Amino acid sequence: MVSRRTLLRGVGVSMALPWLEAMGPARAWSEHRADGKSVPNRMAFLYVPNGKNMSEWTPTKEGADFELTSILQPLEKVKDKFMILSGLTADKARPHGDGGGDHARALSAFLTGSQARKTDGTDIRAGISVDQVAASRIGDRTRLPSLEIGCEQGSMAGNCDSGYSCVYSSTMSWRSATQPLPKEVNPKLVFERLFGSAPDAQKAQRDARRKSVLDFVREDSKDLSGKLGQGDVRKLDEYFSSIRDIELRIARAEQLPPVRVPDYLVPATVPAVYDEHIRLMCDLLVLSFQTDVTRVATFVLANEGSNKPYPFIEVPDGHHDLSHHGNDKEKLTKIKKINTFHTTQLAYLLEKLSSVTEGEGTLLDHSMIAYGSGNSDGNAHNHDNLPILLAGGGCGTLKPGRHVRYPKETPLSNLWISMLNRMEVDIEHLGDSTGGLAQLDG
Amino acid sequence: MHSTQKILSLFAILLCFELHPSWGQEAPDFVAIGRPFLEKHCIGCHGSEEPKAELSLNRFQDSMSLVRERKLWENVLKMTASGEMPPEDHPRPTPAESEAFIEHVHALFDHADRNAKPDPGRVTMRRLNRVEYRNTIRDLIGIDFDPTEDFPSDDIGHGFDNIGDVLTLSPVLMERYLAAAERIVERAIMPELPPTLKRHISARHTEPASGDVEKKLMEGEFRRMTSDGTLPIEVGPINTPYQWDSEGEYTFKTRAYAKSDEDQAVRIAIVVQGKGLTESSSEEELAQLVGKVRSPAKILQILEVSGRDSKSANVFKVSLPAMEGRDRMMVALMKPNEGSPPIQVYVDHLALEGPMDTRPASQRRLLAKVDPEGPSQQTAKILERFLLRAYRRPPTETELQRMMGLVEATQANGKNWEAGMQLAFQSALSSPKFLFRVELDDRPQSIVARGLDEFQLASRISYFLWSSMPDDELLALAGSNELSENIDVQVRRMLKDSKSSSLVTQFALQWLQIQRLASYSPDPKLFPQFDEKLRGAMRKETELFFESILKEDRSILDLIDADYTFLNETLARHYGIVDTAGTRTGEKREDKVGQRIRGDKFERVTLQSGERGGLLTQASILAVTSNPTRTSPVKRGRWVLEQILGAPPPPPPPNAPLLEEGEQAKATGTLKERLEAHRKNPSCANCHAKMDPIGFALENFDAVGAYRTKDGEFSIDATGQLADGTLLDGPTGLKKVIRERKQQFERCLVEKMLIYALGRGIEYYDRPSIDRIVNRLASQEDRISVLVTEIIKSDPFRMRRASDETASIK
Repeated sequence: MVSRRTLLRGVGVSMALPWLEAMGPARAWSEHRADGKSVPNRMAFLYVPNGKNMSEWTPTKEGADFELTSILQPLEKVKDKFMILSGLTADKARPHGDGGGDHARALSAFLTGSQARKTDGTDIRAGISVDQVAASRIGDRTRLPSLEIGCEQGSMAGNCDSGYSCVYSSTMSWRSATQPLPKEVNPKLVFERLFGSAPDAQKAQRDARRKSVLDFVREDSKDLSGKLGQGDVRKLDEYFSSIRDIELRIARAEQLPPVRVPDYLVPATVPAVYDEHIRLMCDLLVLSFQTDVTRVATFVLANEGSNKPYPFIEVPDGHHDLSHHGNDKEKLTKIKKINTFHTTQLAYLLEKLSSVTEGEGTLLDHSMIAYGSGNSDGNAHNHDNLPILLAGGGCGTLKPGRHVRYPKETPLSNLWISMLNRMEVDIEHLGDSTGGLAQLDG
Repeated sequence: MHSTQKILSLFAILLCFELHPSWGQEAPDFVAIGRPFLEKHCIGCHGSEEPKAELSLNRFQDSMSLVRERKLWENVLKMTASGEMPPEDHPRPTPAESEAFIEHVHALFDHADRNAKPDPGRVTMRRLNRVEYRNTIRDLIGIDFDPTEDFPSDDIGHGFDNIGDVLTLSPVLMERYLAAAERIVERAIMPELPPTLKRHISARHTEPASGDVEKKLMEGEFRRMTSDGTLPIEVGPINTPYQWDSEGEYTFKTRAYAKSDEDQAVRIAIVVQGKGLTESSSEEELAQLVGKVRSPAKILQILEVSGRDSKSANVFKVSLPAMEGRDRMMVALMKPNEGSPPIQVYVDHLALEGPMDTRPASQRRLLAKVDPEGPSQQTAKILERFLLRAYRRPPTETELQRMMGLVEATQANGKNWEAGMQLAFQSALSSPKFLFRVELDDRPQSIVARGLDEFQLASRISYFLWSSMPDDELLALAGSNELSENIDVQVRRMLKDSKSSSLVTQFALQWLQIQRLASYSPDPKLFPQFDEKLRGAMRKETELFFESILKEDRSILDLIDADYTFLNETLARHYGIVDTAGTRTGEKREDKVGQRIRGDKFERVTLQSGERGGLLTQASILAVTSNPTRTSPVKRGRWVLEQILGAPPPPPPPNAPLLEEGEQAKATGTLKERLEAHRKNPSCANCHAKMDPIGFALENFDAVGAYRTKDGEFSIDATGQLADGTLLDGPTGLKKVIRERKQQFERCLVEKMLIYALGRGIEYYDRPSIDRIVNRLASQEDRISVLVTEIIKSDPFRMRRASDETASIK
């Protein structure tokens, strides 16, 4: 028997179907689950590059009756589901003596609160990112500890930003200070990662075989230690920690309740049209939360410093070139258009999340979706007063529908601390954080 | 003229250094030159008492103190070069003062480097990148599919995707590695063989076919062939095509009886025919057959048909050995003797069985039996053969035993031997010993440099030149300790091998940053001619051009300026060239007539002197250094400085607005103001004075590399002047200046290729090796093979130290 997904995949159809409603709740969350937990909280981090046209982003009014600026306009339908957090700073994106490279630092400091080591390839180093802190603490409750997705591959050539390796400007998630996690840009592979590509019977057989392979290589690799230099040992550690991850995943798959594989069609190749690509990734993100395959995700809509043109919204110029607008009106308008294009995609995601009912509320009520950039104004390359949006109810721990302005120089990483605490992760420090962030719950 | 002289004298000095490394070279006097600058501009804030940024520069009193803290000083120089320090609100040195200070400190380091103990540096164990993995599997297993399609892309460091420190291994990738190993061994080895395929066709459906066959030729199930017929369907030979595995053995069967008026022997021939057959029976032999049989065709066997009716029909069976290019099997009548009456043969079917051995070719190769020994020795030998190639070194006895244990355990579980070997291979392909290029070291804490062993050297060479594993010849040489002494011969052999195309697609395209072309999307309204065909052609031109330098072992200076290139019709039209003599569109020429360039095939084109020739004028490079809507002289200038001259300008100081560029001619009031603003900031002006003029010289090429004389309504002014007064006039002028600075270009290329070959960034201790390679190049006509060979023979390539600590500083 051929599933519809297989059929459609061949044709290359990529239109999204009303699958959410058809599927209903994928997991029956109840008050009476064995572990006494009701619906879990989730967190996702979405990144957009090159800062914003800030005057078209930041509402003038604070509190609940803030106005929707032109960039926020697409989010009208979900206005009571998100808040704008102004005044946050990614201090570690600043040079601090390292000179140029604001783009590379902006992304690598965004979720880590750490200053990236300036290097074009020797001894890469930033810091563990907030999503990976969560993954390491609560990742064992789901099939996948975390999901890393994006729409742009890492750069294929050259140095990306003033002496910084391209890793920095294309990676959001850092498993450790020295291990960046590449993002998956192919929707088909994301789907397979979430739900597997083989029928269950085969999967069990394959997993058993994998286990014996992993047992063997672990035993067989012992003779390497003691014969490797420091740098080599670090690489071998990456290998071992990765296979440990896979073993845990195999073990968890045996214990966790089965996941209902959604009958969702995924095109075989990466869509050529950008918004289609983003929306597919959004769908997959929603699915991963809905089916509780993971509770932690990062999504880089475009790499930091991306010079992608947006001809489909009448902006044929490169985004990065434009961001150095020199206060040119025409360029600022084009930047606003790009910013608005991105918030339109965000609106799609938030609306999707709020269309899934779950327990007493919606999936969006049980999520925290952070969205923003590590640059404020692309022209000035400043990293204070960042454009940050936090959507969702966080299982009742957030009070969305407001514009909150924080004191100057409040670390962005304080927000991450507060989000972690809402994921039952007790942690006091992340990068340059100085504590939690007040006023999130009103 | 003036600058040429300067270059020449500099060249002479460098030559002297090479000949007499310690020749009268005075260390630059830090106390007299550097220290006063420090005191005047730095110590005020960075003194001993509560220094800013916790950085005190007061302790640097003499040259050696700087050399000891080199990393710190490289930062100090960067800050000074970018103009970030001293900060704006302090009295600042003039750009000339800063530059002199930087040069002085560099000279001081140079002096230290030339007198330092040699240090080959440390390479972090490299994971195979996507291309290396794919090629290695191709050469190791011999299967033709891409197992890396699902792998995440590899990150870039120092401009290349094979840098040990940057090639990380994430859980996602590890999962893909495990899945790939599964898929590979599933394809390569089949524990349960599929049954041999049998194909049966009844004679009525054989060729030559016609409606008349059924009406006139069939007798029951038998089809008649007759030696005196007039039509092909009557005389035969009857035949049918098959799909073949060229490496497979087959059995062909047929059944027939004959009718003959006299008691003469009736003979038929079993023939295999196919356009690709490498051997054929002679025309005379084929002429013995009734009906027309086109050569190449091979008569496999001639058989006598003794049966005279359907009941006594003979069954014939013919074996076919492995053979290339087979298409049809035929049953033909042999001509009866002269004067004898005609004969008829009745055939009821043709049948083909095979390939008799259904193991995949890879399985036959990988599991090929060795000597006739006992089963466990067989297993050991076969595993040893595989692990030598998979780990690129002989396996240890323990490794072999462990692997055999895995095979035996699988067999103990009731699976067959092949299943055990499959699991063993899968484990090897999942092992860090395969996935990483491990260079084992008995003294990992030692900072003492030592030579690589021969197997490690073989791997370094083959991944450098082929992006793949060493082949059997390299491994054999390494095994007998003869590789080191045969490097020249081996490099020549390897460069001739088609696998060396990876030097083009991996090294050259990354060096030149052509990969960016794949995602370059110029504004379709401004550049409607840009489409996928043109994009592909641009890339291909650069590939073919670099490949010709390599294959013809030309001078690397030809990369800068050559009188030929490779064009197909799409690109020729884009360049305004019509034929292989480089005739321009609409141009009338009497001297030379070339062939018109048509279609998708690339032709070698001789270029007329003028705008095109060499890498700098290729559309691929001109496009990747442009913005989607217009050219960018700054980007082009920076590209030339970084990739060609090896003199990257410092990054713009933080918060500096980008300089509006390329619009000199149409500077409006506001634009002028912006230009002025930049000139006021001396550090901006200083660097842009280096980049912009180079870009201006290429302004005759638009953002997709087409030639133009106007930008909008303004005429192009393709001249620029470098800070030292050198005039650049158009692409020809630019190329001339680069050729005049040939050492600078060659050094740059040596550095880039060394990074690629080593998989790490260049460090100061590599300087002596680089100097040596540059000088060897100059003495051997700058041939590219010399560049490659000298890199392989250099200390950093052939030696290693295990520890992170550097020897020279201690």
